[in-house]
Amino acid sequence: MSFPPPNPNGIALDPAFAPNPSVEVDAVSVWFGPKVALSELSCSFGPGVSGLLGPNGAGKTTLMRAITGLVHVNEGSVRIGGRDPRRDRKVFADMALVPEDEAVPPGLSARQFVRYVADLHRVSRRDAAEEAIASVGLLDVADRDVDNFSKGMRQRTKIAAALVTNPHVLVLDEPLNGADPVQRVHLINLFRQLGAQGRTVIVSSHVLNEVERMAERVIVLVHGRLAAAGGQRAIRDAMDDTPRHVLVRSNGSRRLAASLVELESVAGVTFDPKQDGLVIQTLQARELARALPRVAKATSTRLLEVRALDDSLESLFRELVQ
Amino acid sequence: MTAPTLADQNTPTYRPRPRLVAIILYTWRSCFPPKRWAALLLPCAGALLFGLLAHALHLRADRAFANVAAEGIFGLVMPIAALVIGDSVMGAEVRAGTFHFTWLSPVPTWQIVLGRWIGGSIVALVTIVPATGLAAVIANSRTSVGPAMLAAAVGSISYVAIFIAIGCLTRRTAVWSLAFVFLVERLLGAALTGIAQLSPTWESRAIFIGLIDRPPLRLVREGIPDGWHAVGRLMIVTLVTLLLANWRMKHMRLAGAAD
Repeated sequence: MSFPPPNPNGIALDPAFAPNPSVEVDAVSVWFGPKVALSELSCSFGPGVSGLLGPNGAGKTTLMRAITGLVHVNEGSVRIGGRDPRRDRKVFADMALVPEDEAVPPGLSARQFVRYVADLHRVSRRDAAEEAIASVGLLDVADRDVDNFSKGMRQRTKIAAALVTNPHVLVLDEPLNGADPVQRVHLINLFRQLGAQGRTVIVSSHVLNEVERMAERVIVLVHGRLAAAGGQRAIRDAMDDTPRHVLVRSNGSRRLAASLVELESVAGVTFDPKQDGLVIQTLQARELARALPRVAKATSTRLLEVRALDDSLESLFRELVQ
Repeated sequence: MTAPTLADQNTPTYRPRPRLVAIILYTWRSCFPPKRWAALLLPCAGALLFGLLAHALHLRADRAFANVAAEGIFGLVMPIAALVIGDSVMGAEVRAGTFHFTWLSPVPTWQIVLGRWIGGSIVALVTIVPATGLAAVIANSRTSVGPAMLAAAVGSISYVAIFIAIGCLTRRTAVWSLAFVFLVERLLGAALTGIAQLSPTWESRAIFIGLIDRPPLRLVREGIPDGWHAVGRLMIVTLVTLLLANWRMKHMRLAGAAD
């Protein structure tokens, strides 16, 4: 299969579309009975790491399954390097999926599993399996049964099985699930390296910070629709423009409130007796976060709790859609 | 951790294992965990018990074994054991969400279907078939060993193909496979010759009855081929079923284990 060569001058007018796409999603709708999982979604993915962000049930997994041909697209089309994955199985020679499920084939060691996938793809490099296993840091346990692996180790085994095929398009569904903090850092670096090599890496997550650390470009899905697309900054700015509510519990709410209302970043302050704290409305959450300790110190107030009331991704995504 | 690079792909090479062989080996290693083997050996033990049961009938050894084999082994033990095998090689994997590691590869679907069928058939040939032969030995009917083993071999590999096709059609493989055996074959097949002609239960029984000397007349069913003709009939059924499974596999909608 041939993919378009990287074109640094390629310009996509719409941020939902990549300049040199290897994966094209055109007006795709997928439904399961009465439930609409994806609705007229159009976007594309090119070389580099693209993040697929959205709350649970947004349609990220369905989109990934549609891209890899695991589910049938009811309307619209998916093209990988110009080919339909449901009709042309040769597409799979250049594409790999790391599913979110914990399921791994029982009765196989990590090495046997990776070699099996390598055999299916006719990988002729002698060391390919070892390199793939080493790249996810599982070489010491490669002969242990994958059934006995932890969730994070299973996830890494599946990533190794995907990498052994040397895919141009790599689709990773919540790949950091179950990984410990050190492994997360390693995997994020690994995905960035893969993207830098010119591969199309699509990574889904519902954790904004994780996506920000690995993806140059983000597609945000909500309720099966495209909610936002573009660079991290554009997404973050879109989110920053929406008012946030922050709960601040302290030992001097009155003193603190008097000083906070003078800040530019504060749009309003109310006392919530139920939560026994101040609810601050702000359009500049980052500014507020910087100013709050300073104000607390100046008013000799001890901060007991600072918590964003609507900073869950679900609420941010809701705001984006609105 | 370092990502394998695209340029690395030119380093020393070797000849990878043929895909069909890889699928067959995977089928043995992964589709038959210890619990599945236990579930498979139970009906095989049942076949041996039917061999012992033949001694309880006040008939000549050959006739007694023909009766228990027709009703017990080909009618009950073989379908259940084949169901365990057929579900293991396809349905269980689809349900567990591990089948897409095989499906998401450039391997043509016919090779996947064929590999799974060969893998499952070999398991049937080393479990059900020897158990059936051993049952004949236990029943003191040595002349029946060959026909019984041939009938069990052809019937079970035909069943494995059918259960693979059912695994490609539905996620509820075990339920639909049981419905096929007990409602379609046993119930409808007993009444309708047209269905019996295509049924592994009835045709494997017909292979056995057609190849033994002086079979009990009540076991001879008019209107369906027997002996070697039944072998040919079941081979055709197997081939058509594998073609159906291959067609269906191209259009599979693979959901995750949690769906």
